[in-house]
Amino acid sequence: MEIEFTLNGVRKRVQVEPNELLLNVLREKLYMTGTKYGCGIGECGACTVLLDGEPVLSCLVLAADVDGREVTTIEGLARGEELDEVQKAFVEEGAVQCGFCTPGFIITAKSLLMENPNPSEEEVREYIKGNLCRCTGYMNIVKAILRAAGVIPQTP
Amino acid sequence: MALEVLERRPEGRVGREALTIVGRKTLRKDAVAKVTGRELYASDITLPNMLYARVLKSPYPHARVKSIDVSKAVEMGAVVITSQDVPQVLFNPRLVSIPEATYKDWRVLTDRPLFVGEPIAAVAAETEELAQRALEAIKVEYERLPAVFDAIESMKPEAPKLHETIILKDREVKVERNVACRLEIAEGDVEKGFKEADVVIEREFRTNRRYHNQLETKAVVVNLEPGGGVTIWCTTQTIHNTRLLIHEIFGIPMNKINVKKISLGGSFGSSIHTNIIVPIAVALALKAGRPVKLVYTREEDMHDHVSFQMIFRLKLGAKRDGRLVAGQLQAIVDIGAHQIQAYPILGVIAGWWVSLYKLPHVKYEGIAVYTNKVPSCAFRGYGNPQTTWAVETLIDELAEKLGIDPLEFRLMNYVGEGDIFWGQGPTVKTVIRSCGVEELLRRGAELIGWHRRPKPGQQKGRFRRGIGMGRGFHTSSAGSPVPGSVIDYSGAMIKINEDGTIDYITALMDHGGGSLEAIAKIIAEELGVPLENVNIITADTQTTVYDVCTHASRGVYAGGATALKVARQVKQKLLEMAAKILDTYPHALRIRPDPKRGQGVIYVEGIEGKEITIGEVAMTARHKNWGTIAAVDSHRTEAGPPHFTAYFVEVEVDTETGIVKPIRVVAGADIGTVINPDLARGQIHGGFAMGMGMALLEDTPYDPDTGDLVNRGFLVDYKTASAPDMPRLKDFTVFFAETYEPTGPFGAKGLGEGAFNPAAAAIANAIYNAIGVRFYELPITPEKILQALRGGGENV
Ligand code: FES
Ligand code: FES
Repeated sequence: MEIEFTLNGVRKRVQVEPNELLLNVLREKLYMTGTKYGCGIGECGACTVLLDGEPVLSCLVLAADVDGREVTTIEGLARGEELDEVQKAFVEEGAVQCGFCTPGFIITAKSLLMENPNPSEEEVREYIKGNLCRCTGYMNIVKAILRAAGVIPQTP
Repeated sequence: MALEVLERRPEGRVGREALTIVGRKTLRKDAVAKVTGRELYASDITLPNMLYARVLKSPYPHARVKSIDVSKAVEMGAVVITSQDVPQVLFNPRLVSIPEATYKDWRVLTDRPLFVGEPIAAVAAETEELAQRALEAIKVEYERLPAVFDAIESMKPEAPKLHETIILKDREVKVERNVACRLEIAEGDVEKGFKEADVVIEREFRTNRRYHNQLETKAVVVNLEPGGGVTIWCTTQTIHNTRLLIHEIFGIPMNKINVKKISLGGSFGSSIHTNIIVPIAVALALKAGRPVKLVYTREEDMHDHVSFQMIFRLKLGAKRDGRLVAGQLQAIVDIGAHQIQAYPILGVIAGWWVSLYKLPHVKYEGIAVYTNKVPSCAFRGYGNPQTTWAVETLIDELAEKLGIDPLEFRLMNYVGEGDIFWGQGPTVKTVIRSCGVEELLRRGAELIGWHRRPKPGQQKGRFRRGIGMGRGFHTSSAGSPVPGSVIDYSGAMIKINEDGTIDYITALMDHGGGSLEAIAKIIAEELGVPLENVNIITADTQTTVYDVCTHASRGVYAGGATALKVARQVKQKLLEMAAKILDTYPHALRIRPDPKRGQGVIYVEGIEGKEITIGEVAMTARHKNWGTIAAVDSHRTEAGPPHFTAYFVEVEVDTETGIVKPIRVVAGADIGTVINPDLARGQIHGGFAMGMGMALLEDTPYDPDTGDLVNRGFLVDYKTASAPDMPRLKDFTVFFAETYEPTGPFGAKGLGEGAFNPAAAAIANAIYNAIGVRFYELPITPEKILQALRGGGENV
């Protein structure tokens, strides 16, 4: 079947199977490889994208279901070379190590800050608990999100 | 390749004040690509005309393939390989040790699977879905054989035999009682030692079998080159050893195998060896005559690699005054169904053990045992976190029995400056030249409030808090003044472009910890250029000289030392050319970074006008046909020094649920000169999270009925630490000792593994302090805690 949706502000038309997952269509058909596979069963958050502004796990969403809707992936956040606030904070607070979990975290953080522009540290932790990171111990990720929200200052 | 002692610099701060880039917070070079989704990992590669592969794996823990019918799969258009289609060679996928220490018992595909998940056949087809359907159409008739899942059981005469013979170097070795290999070491007279002791404690410890859970599952893409060559992108910690193994298995000339360096989504030891999917994908591509991509699912990945599991019998004896006099350790190591680094781990366990505390008399026996489980490989710390957990638990107990503060007891006995350190088992030894242990312990104790901690077992109420400590170390590389049985050298090429920018080309991998970022700073510091000017080049095996592997916390120390050596050669050439242009002498010239000009500037001190930018020199060299200012070299460090760490942890135990929460952490690290302060802190945060998993959460038990993992590989049932489990930002303190490692680049040592090693021990000791119970089996789950509390506080 053919679906049409907006991907990072651009209209896309693509042939998909009825059982095909959004994650695979993004990665294998549209070559948007920033969204990562980590488990395929909703346990790691590496595949998080925004669907009509809401965070979803693209490994659990059928591509057919995004027909007519709007998808934002990690590739859609920066304006050219200019990074989004959350991306900038991740770079500056050392929140990136291997980087494989990073796109999922940044999308999740974006969604948190849209819902709650002034989160407490506890709220940040709770909100990102579905995203796994094996490298950072989450400390600098939490710091980066609070910093992007302006809750804490930049670490010197 | 000469052994070279790096230039000695003054100790401590004095030497560091002159540094302009090393030690400052800088932004990592790969961060922008990583936050924008542009960084490529092996699974992101797509090639024209590419096929997708899937692997057929044994559903049984031990079986013989009686027949295999692939006709349906072939009819569906899939390319299929079975054990008949791959070279009939036995190999070991890890090539870090010399051949005399490398036992071979692996095949690319087998007809005698020894664990659930062992590859039997593989298919490649136009789509992943078609490949999967073709896989399901393969008919295999198995003869099930009895299996064994416990190392002790496996050594019994009636246990099923896994391997008849294996290969060591070029000779066949008979396997007796499923013992893969063994190692015995004795120094002094242990019997006499224990007789002299006033207090002796002996305990048995059992560790968990932890799955790496690196975020990126194993992946490989193989392209075929005209003339029979292959190009490979894969999850690996060593592109050169991957090339060597593919050569060993397939006989393809080494210069026709090109392994590309590509970002790695975490590894933690799970790709020190070449992952089995790599030769499988090569075999498929060769047969299909087309590029092949193979990416493991999480469930497959969990059936692919796991940590070693140990049963330790540890005995320590001390005098009443607190001096340790003797130690005995037996380590029975469950290695799963195949050897990846079974022999080396027996050596390093001994090394980690004797390098923690001074033991005048020691006796060690290490036995590696086959079981019908996923093969074990290195996992951050390589046996060190397990050993340290056992030793640090027993040291705590001994101190208590002697009535000595556990902190003082450690300070009385630790292996420190001037002592011998076994960095990688008995063949890799180094004299310790820098040691911040005392500083770590004293400062850490003060920051956590060690002397105000409660008395164990005295607390009442639902929530009980306790403070514990664990100290440890890891080696920085497997370097040593003599060769040893572990290969350890690095390679680097540095060239100066005609605009004064620098290219750093190396096969050394960065798993995300920031080794290459640190090395870029070392190069920038040495050449006197702004950090932005140093470019870390994406490379491959065809364009780089050999680099053994990024493991053993060697990236910054050994890789950095190599880059520094090469940077000095480049600097020498640069200054010679500059001296010609400026009409002076090379040794009269200095270089400083000039951020305004975005260049390094070469100048003569005190004489105005005598200066020139590096770019101008390089461009002049071009116009005058002097050549490129570049150098390439290999380097072996003459030492493998320990970096030391100490954790002080406060936990809260909920006695109703059994849940343990670390609420406060003080972590100290002696890593010599700190090159990347914020990334170093990040390593420690991550190390602690992993330590929490080891202490409290992680294990991969087997179901003896199915012979499979109880969780069947599903991540839902393999819990690791998540964000709410960690202490609050203000409650996690990291500090660094003021030390300088004379053999390290600008005084630096490693960190990656030391950041993790003693964390679980500290948590376990904190639990004891909170509830008065010790646990000798990991992980310490809520069930075990509740059971212990119900049992009236008996140690378990
Ligand atoms: S890949 Fe979707 S949650 Fe893990
Ligand atoms: S940075 Fe590696 S998993 Fe998060």
